[in-house]
Amino acid sequence: MRLAAALLGVIATQWCSYAQSSADPVLLVIAADTESCFLSAGGTVASMIQRGAKAILVRVTNDDKSAWKLSSEEAALRNRQESEQAGKILGFQEVVSMGYRAHELADVPFTSLRDRLILYIRHYRPAALFIPSPYAEYDRVLDHYYAARASEDAWRSASIDNYVPPFGTAGLKPHTTPDLYYYGPPLDPRRREPESTPTFVPQPVTLDIAAVLPRKLQAVQALKTINRAFAMQLKERLDATGRRLPLLNTVDDASIAKVVEENVRGLAATAAAGSAFALAEEFHHAGAAYQIPSRYRK
Amino acid sequence: MAGKSLSVALFLATVLTCLGAEPLPLVKLPPGKVVLVLQPHHDDHTTDYGMGGLIARFVDEGYDVYYVRASNDEKDGTRDRPENDNINHRESAAAAKVLGMKEVISLNWRNDYTAPIPLNELRAQLIFLIRKYKPDVVLGHNPWEHYQKNPDHRNVGRAMAEAYWLAGNPNVYPEHFKLGVQPHQASYLFGKARLDWGLGHTPNVAVELNESQVRRKAVAYQTHRNVYAKPVTARAYRMELARRNLVIPEWNGLDDQEAAVQMEEWHMEWISRKRGAEAGVRYAEDYYFLDEFQHLPGLKAYLGANIRTK
Repeated sequence: MRLAAALLGVIATQWCSYAQSSADPVLLVIAADTESCFLSAGGTVASMIQRGAKAILVRVTNDDKSAWKLSSEEAALRNRQESEQAGKILGFQEVVSMGYRAHELADVPFTSLRDRLILYIRHYRPAALFIPSPYAEYDRVLDHYYAARASEDAWRSASIDNYVPPFGTAGLKPHTTPDLYYYGPPLDPRRREPESTPTFVPQPVTLDIAAVLPRKLQAVQALKTINRAFAMQLKERLDATGRRLPLLNTVDDASIAKVVEENVRGLAATAAAGSAFALAEEFHHAGAAYQIPSRYRK
Repeated sequence: MAGKSLSVALFLATVLTCLGAEPLPLVKLPPGKVVLVLQPHHDDHTTDYGMGGLIARFVDEGYDVYYVRASNDEKDGTRDRPENDNINHRESAAAAKVLGMKEVISLNWRNDYTAPIPLNELRAQLIFLIRKYKPDVVLGHNPWEHYQKNPDHRNVGRAMAEAYWLAGNPNVYPEHFKLGVQPHQASYLFGKARLDWGLGHTPNVAVELNESQVRRKAVAYQTHRNVYAKPVTARAYRMELARRNLVIPEWNGLDDQEAAVQMEEWHMEWISRKRGAEAGVRYAEDYYFLDEFQHLPGLKAYLGANIRTK
């Protein structure tokens, strides 16, 4: 708890210094799919935007499988438009869609995805980077893992000029992002156990999102195609096993919104459990103090 | 006698070390009719760390259980590769029969070569089989375990982790529907892994077994004679014991093959008792169990409080 409080203090101090030293510190959020980053990190991102950050969202996949009875093409189009709408609500200045097909990242060459992400990091030059966590265990969506691996390496290698030399010919300079947040769903019972030393390994932190929960919720509600699929899949599962959720007796915009709200609030309460907050998000955080000890660098 | 004494001593040691530890909750078998076991190798359903006992229990409780073996196991055994492949295939079918499984489906990927297979291709085959057999429950390696050095275990586990639920999505491999199958999602997953390999596999449930299930698990295991219960192992033990003027009385009158089988059965009995003691029952196996709403951590409490039967 003391460690978490100390880290929170460091994060707040760092973020204030970014806000003071630059008119618009940049926040880059990399997401395998739109929904996962909004659910796991949307509140914290909204909070940083409120404190002056300029935020960019990079969607790696096109969410073409996240729909109820729509073709992949129609699903991809709607989810792109709704991601942009949700991004606006949360405060993102730009939503970049890389267009990889959903649930197929496993076979995308690691370096090709990483190198594309390096371009975004060098171009936007963020003060903080949010990436999915490759260490989030029991997450059954493999895209999260593969996007996470590529993002983590892009964060590291974006700072080294020997990676993707052609970018340099266009004037793109290496960039070190001082603040790194790993996000993921709260599924692993051991996710809060600290690992190794704080300067060497990113540590678990819990951040208060009570003040921005309404904005986060409004943004998630804008993902209408994904939310409808979520509600219908839940109803179908219950129907198939002789059960029902009274709220979904009739599936309409109001009932979907209510299920989504329960999910968003439930996630925030789960993340806050055991902390000083009522509603929160969890991360593993590597701040400016994070560095690989010199004895390990060689 | 020495064997039994050893078993009793190990059992007591286990019980004593478990005193004070929180026992794992015993899980009831989830509702359903069909179980699909998705594993890379011919023998993965029978190893000491799972899942022969659980399979036997599913069969006892009326489930139809099918075994999918992803690799051809050509390197497992002391013979040439094609011979290993054939023997392991045959022994896999025999072990599956001991446990009461309906069928063994071999995907015939090359043993220990799953790393370069496009994961989506392997996953697509598993998705098709899930759509065909319509399992309620899927069993396999815990894909999130740490220090798993066998690439087949890692890759088949990883493909399974997504296949078991993605098979329910009609936008995934829609060409399958030309073959008469429909989208189908399995709702429960039991993941197994060695418990002595790092922090990555902390089981969250224990499955209670009865004596018959433990017995069938042991028999299924040593049915894989191409790789287990080798006479040479028993012979080596006998020589070492003789050097120390010791004997195992239970082995009197047994040849080396029979002694090797006996040893494997003792081991299986011991590990099942150890897991049972940790859970407060006689016999058990431990798993990481993902229930139907595991992927919805924010909604689980709400669903638990509000779902009604029709």
